[in-house]
Amino acid sequence: MPTSEHGTTLRRRTVLTGGAVVGLGALTGCAGLTERVSSTSRGARDRLTVQVYGTDTETGIYQQLADRFAQEQGVTVDLTVVPFADFATGIDAGLISGTAPDVFRVDYPTMGLYSSTGQLLDVTEALGDLADDVPAALMAAVAHGDRSFGIPQHVDTSAVVVRPDLLRDAGITSVPDRLEDAWSWEEFADVADRLSQAAPDGTTPFGVNWQAAGAFRWLNFLFQAGGHLYDTDLSRAVVDDDAGRRALDFTASFFERGWVPDSTSTKSATYPDALFTSGKLAMLFAGNFLLPAFADTIGKRFEYAATYLPQDQRQASELGGNAIVASRQAVNADLAAEFLVFLASPEAMGDFCSASVLLPTRASLVERGLDFALGRDLMPVYADQIRTIEDRDVADVTTPTFAEVNVDLANELEETFLGGRPVDDTLRRLSEQVTAGASLNRASTA
Amino acid sequence: MSTVEARPRQRHGQRQGPRRDPRQHRGSSVTAWVMLAPNLLLLGLFLLVPLVWAFVLSFQAKRSFGGGTWAGLDNYTRLLRDDVFWRALLNTAVFTAITVPVTVVAGLALALLLDKALPGRGVFRTIVYLPIVVSTLVTSLIGLLLFDESIGIVNGVLADLGLGAVSWQSEGSLAMVSVIVMVLWTRIGFAMVVYIAALQDLDQEVLEAASVDGAGKWARVRLIVVPSLRPTTMFLLVVNMVWSFQIFDIVYVMTNGGPGYSTTMLVTYAYDEGFGPARNFGYGSTVGVVLFVLTLLITALQVRSSRKQDG
Repeated sequence: MPTSEHGTTLRRRTVLTGGAVVGLGALTGCAGLTERVSSTSRGARDRLTVQVYGTDTETGIYQQLADRFAQEQGVTVDLTVVPFADFATGIDAGLISGTAPDVFRVDYPTMGLYSSTGQLLDVTEALGDLADDVPAALMAAVAHGDRSFGIPQHVDTSAVVVRPDLLRDAGITSVPDRLEDAWSWEEFADVADRLSQAAPDGTTPFGVNWQAAGAFRWLNFLFQAGGHLYDTDLSRAVVDDDAGRRALDFTASFFERGWVPDSTSTKSATYPDALFTSGKLAMLFAGNFLLPAFADTIGKRFEYAATYLPQDQRQASELGGNAIVASRQAVNADLAAEFLVFLASPEAMGDFCSASVLLPTRASLVERGLDFALGRDLMPVYADQIRTIEDRDVADVTTPTFAEVNVDLANELEETFLGGRPVDDTLRRLSEQVTAGASLNRASTA
Repeated sequence: MSTVEARPRQRHGQRQGPRRDPRQHRGSSVTAWVMLAPNLLLLGLFLLVPLVWAFVLSFQAKRSFGGGTWAGLDNYTRLLRDDVFWRALLNTAVFTAITVPVTVVAGLALALLLDKALPGRGVFRTIVYLPIVVSTLVTSLIGLLLFDESIGIVNGVLADLGLGAVSWQSEGSLAMVSVIVMVLWTRIGFAMVVYIAALQDLDQEVLEAASVDGAGKWARVRLIVVPSLRPTTMFLLVVNMVWSFQIFDIVYVMTNGGPGYSTTMLVTYAYDEGFGPARNFGYGSTVGVVLFVLTLLITALQVRSSRKQDG
């Protein structure tokens, strides 16, 4: 190494200059340090960015519809598919940082958060015709106040999928085939008891689809018992009443009497449809969106049919499904609104729902009847079941904080289902949390 | 054994060696800062700024949309009364108390075993180390496949052996066991590799001398090997303790914190509050701050204890 001062200085200068040049080049070339990096991105005047989640069938038909719209309008539509579990985190970050996709899919329980906090494009005028063809309860799912912030693209609900072979073995030769003849809770309990006695080793009478984000499906039992989560003006909880007690007593008995596997509680990391397809359950409370998966995985190994959810004081089923909304920050808001209008058209909605085996929200499509790609014999049960959803049921599950209440349901119900906590304690805790949510709802709306 | 002479401590104000040219000294400093700058910038941007921000958020009522409002100590007051937080803290402590010693002891045992000239030693080392290079998400899914109560492999094997099914998912303590088993599977390999590297540096002459003096295998390990590996053990203890306090992915995928709150850990709770449907950034940050302080304290205590032992 040179020891002269001159030599050292030159060497250092060279190093510093070279380093600066290299560093500048690296910084310029590194997008992560020079521009915003996000998993979501906004579109442009002639380019829409769209984010969806769903099964392969659903995302495939979304791509077809996006291509069709792009061709008709002479624009580009960039469709991104994300897992359902990740969609909200990405959308939240995008909305906060101004990089949210122009259009995205959102489930009804999360819809209230975005619409109540002014994150979505108001499409009331653009979708004026849609409201004439969609039941008011379903339009309410995408509304905040008297304004609409998206299209209720489809609805899902649950029915009881049964294995006739195992039911026959238990001496049950038929299941209700009309909505009004649905089993009462007592009849359903009797069926479960008979299945318990007759089912082969390793088989459990049934499973309920209330795991994780599906915890709100417990509300089916609450509604059936004549109860509700909130009072009529959504200002406080009313779950801690006789109906709530009856619903929780009944559902807790599923675990106490061994009618359902313990691993199918509300916080379980696994879903019971895998148990049904592997032949471990005689019956399953299952959403219609699972029918394509059943067709694939069950094949001809055993036959299965569908019947209605049991009833108590009334009939009820959940408002599942998804809406399509546009971000208020969309670069070309008109184009985003046009895409929503396109997806809400009878043709596009019909194509999407028939291919994906989902129920359309347009009454005209329901009346006409769709040619479903699969499960043609089972879908009429779901179509009937959806008619049991009432306006107040929808209001309960579309509050701004319902996604949070949904987590509270999963946490608290499991304490009784698996932890043996008294029903009254769980209802009291739920009531406190729902009322706290109601306060936040009022604050967010104010 | 080689020895190093202690260098006399330099007195205050006393200079050693030829005096350096101030210009040369200043130039070296500039070079050093230029070299350090990119790392310091990244550390500041992605570590210190979020850390300070989390502290600020912990004093705010802040949800995902809209501005936060000053909440004083409200989040901390809620934390003290929050049963789930205390349960998560207890779970994390139990999880750490089990995983850290088992990882270190099993890692050392395997290292001692595979440090010998065994046939197929490389293959065994690879098998033990393999879980480290697999994504923890994949590990978690394997855990789910193994410990599923109804259709899992473990219960399937038990059924084939004529034994009853084990409630891996619906019994709290067993769910914790299943998580611990999967975590140990991913960590022991790393401990083993670090110990094997340290064993290579042991002075073989000392071990041979001990043998000549009549020390058995166990005595050599207990009285020579283990004390010599103290710095390595210290490193593994600190690293594993920090990892245990930060456990997230395996719990999140395998048990989702359940059944009930049996496997809820501090990080999964902070995540659920901050990034789950609650989107309560303020409270989530508060849990995170407590986790940070706890980790810092435990690490500092361990380092201090180690320094004392080293004299």
